[in-house]
Amino acid sequence: MFDELRAIQATFGYLPTDQLHQLSGKLKIPVSQIHAVASFYPHFYLKPPPKVDVRVCADMSCHLRGAGLVRKALDQAFAGRGQDAITIRDVSCLGRCDTAPALAINDHIYSGGTSHQVLDLVRGTIEGKPLPSPHRDHHHKQRLATDPYSGASTYRAVRQLVEGRDFKAVLGTLKASGLRGMGGAGFPTGTKWEIVRNAAGQQKYIVCNADESEPGTIKDRFIMENVPHLVIEGMIVAGLVTGATKGIIYIRHEYEEPREALHEEIQRCYRERLLGSSILGSELVFNLEIFISPGGYICGEESALLEALEGKRAEPRNKPPFPGTNGLWNQPTAINNVETFTLASAILVNGVDWYKKQGINNVPGLKFVGISGDVARPGIFEVPMGTSYRDLIYKYAEGVTNGKPLLGFAPSGPSSGYLPASQVDLPLDFNALAAAGSMVGSGAIVVCAEGRCMLDMALNATRFYRNESCGKCVPCRMGSQKLVDLLTDWTTGESAKDDMRVIEELFKAMRLTSICGLGQIIHAPLASVIRHFPLVIDEHLKGKRCPGGVCFGGRG
Amino acid sequence: MEEEEFSATYIPEQQITLTIDGRPVVIGQERGTTTTIFEAAQKNGITIPTLCHQQNEKPVGVCRVCVVDIGQRVFAASCVRMIEPGMQVKTSSDDVKSVRRTLLELLMADHPSPCARQTLSNDCELELLASAAGVKTSPFARRTSPRGHDDSSVSIAVDHEACILCDRCVRGCSEIQHNFVLARRGKGYQAGIAFDDNLPMGNSSCVSCGECMVSCPTGALTNKKVIDTKLGGGSVALKELQQIDVFRGVSGTFLNLNSNAIRQRTYKAGETICKEGDYGSTAFYIVDGKA
Repeated sequence: MFDELRAIQATFGYLPTDQLHQLSGKLKIPVSQIHAVASFYPHFYLKPPPKVDVRVCADMSCHLRGAGLVRKALDQAFAGRGQDAITIRDVSCLGRCDTAPALAINDHIYSGGTSHQVLDLVRGTIEGKPLPSPHRDHHHKQRLATDPYSGASTYRAVRQLVEGRDFKAVLGTLKASGLRGMGGAGFPTGTKWEIVRNAAGQQKYIVCNADESEPGTIKDRFIMENVPHLVIEGMIVAGLVTGATKGIIYIRHEYEEPREALHEEIQRCYRERLLGSSILGSELVFNLEIFISPGGYICGEESALLEALEGKRAEPRNKPPFPGTNGLWNQPTAINNVETFTLASAILVNGVDWYKKQGINNVPGLKFVGISGDVARPGIFEVPMGTSYRDLIYKYAEGVTNGKPLLGFAPSGPSSGYLPASQVDLPLDFNALAAAGSMVGSGAIVVCAEGRCMLDMALNATRFYRNESCGKCVPCRMGSQKLVDLLTDWTTGESAKDDMRVIEELFKAMRLTSICGLGQIIHAPLASVIRHFPLVIDEHLKGKRCPGGVCFGGRG
Repeated sequence: MEEEEFSATYIPEQQITLTIDGRPVVIGQERGTTTTIFEAAQKNGITIPTLCHQQNEKPVGVCRVCVVDIGQRVFAASCVRMIEPGMQVKTSSDDVKSVRRTLLELLMADHPSPCARQTLSNDCELELLASAAGVKTSPFARRTSPRGHDDSSVSIAVDHEACILCDRCVRGCSEIQHNFVLARRGKGYQAGIAFDDNLPMGNSSCVSCGECMVSCPTGALTNKKVIDTKLGGGSVALKELQQIDVFRGVSGTFLNLNSNAIRQRTYKAGETICKEGDYGSTAFYIVDGKA
């Protein structure tokens, strides 16, 4: 379905009605259902697009790094031009948080430019100049502690398994290592693979979730660019252990470089018979392909991802049943995050003891984190578990921008909520963060310097969820919008109601009744600001002033 | 040996014991089949409120009004969650009632109350549930971007403002009638229902079967009065019709449209009620007496 829609869009620039009807005849799918799918994904245009389509990332890190100013400059410079010439709109996180602010011009992604540079680029595009290649390769390949291969990667875990066939030992090793899912939910990896291994099914699947789209989350991009072989090795091993013969890497369409790195490595694996119908000359089979996401944060929710793979609207399924038994095409499916497959490979080659020794302060393991926002050196870092957030911010990311004091930080994008500076000595540890009412999650650390408005940051994060809600269930679809309305009132001073009881009830309903994790976590940013920054709330509601000078139209 | 043969051919009914609202409940089900919490409650005389669940359609669990507490991290939508042995279900605890109320408040915030259905026949399911839960005004801001009306069909009026995206019309159109004209469109708060590729209903491939309108719980899809034929006998007031068992759950607006098709007649003993070839009489409901 998506390939067909992309082909039409490539030819016509959008999806004309008659083409949708033709496609309906060709695929024998009702046109209502094709439209339902096409209208769900922001990637598809149902009307002729403007000559220049500018989309500015408005989410956390870009918001902190001046995206609003870029947007304002664009709006002013191109005011009055027709909709067919140029449209300027917001877009959800493009995964360039380390080089923020980011924007897309006709689907070419640029980041780190000044307003002046952006205006020049857009003017040139309007005049018909071809867009330059986006600046690439901000990360040179690095030698990582996670990578057991110093020279050519030899896929030792796969070789051992094909020779020894001790599939259960793999499960034992993973369980002993304590490896948990690194996508955010933290489900034990060994247990997940065991469920799929024990499930009955004609055709099992291994799916790699490479759709990281949460603001601040950029680690998987880095992993895929630097150690694509570890991602693939983890998937092959998972296939052999569970009996799945098909693997799919589900990657967000904005990730071209990682896709190329993975593609090259997959080609190499087929040449070296690490993939295919006779792995290393044996009867074992595992085939691997890349699926490019048609877009949207919700596709990272595992059951929504499966729906997208099946060519449908990416609406999360009611659970149970879970993907382990009823996944892709209702078959047993192991879905893991990029980092999880990578660490699984490293553990299987280097051993459990090695992995445990990687951590510090009595917390075992390694983790990839992205640090962005108000820091001197934003980036992606491979760090020992147990490292304090203080060290992450001040040593790895070289401190707060311009030496300002730290105000707060999100340990994992909007989903973790914000913690105050006073908690910066917390260690990178699943349990410690859970006890603090937050989470390690996907390690998307977003830093806010003194002078920022935390209520504005809560609004920013809530707006992201509103924009990315699929709309399937009432609490998320309606609740996210009503919460944005309320926070907009609070930050503009208009008819602001201080109704904490209503908010508590709304939080409870969204958390307890939403179908998926998106709706269940929408309350986190505002709840954390109410809890940790009560004075900021008071100033806005009672004093009608913003301590950061951000809200009320910037008048402070 | 004999026993094995016996068990291979005879599939015994499974007994599942669980607790609903503090009461132990035993549900029998054939092996290989499942029972939802909603069904189990219903079998035991407990009615769980819902908006998106309609029993001739596959449950989708999208309105979340039917959520129950089963002691887990989050509540379960009873229309899609299967019962399990030992399950402890609370269908109307304070927490369940309060989240249900919030869901109704969220929906009522954007609902054009009274909607067409409520105005015509006082039975908009959302407005009735909201009223029963004591929701008078919603504490949430009203939608500012209009969702529109579609008056293009000769038989059905579409008010997108009153649509709660329960997917009942979509399922009626696809699962029941196999017409596949209706589907969701868009995403998130901007989502809605669409005919074909978002055409006005009157220009779409819709054949006006009426299934969507009968399925709709609110005033989003209501009938227009188009047919006016009179049959013999007296008319029956809508309120009386709604009291008759077979019409319970049928949209009052739809009943009202068909009021001319429902006639009340009194027969003497021995009189012929219907004979082959009679026009216009397809079903009889005996209010009093014996046939």
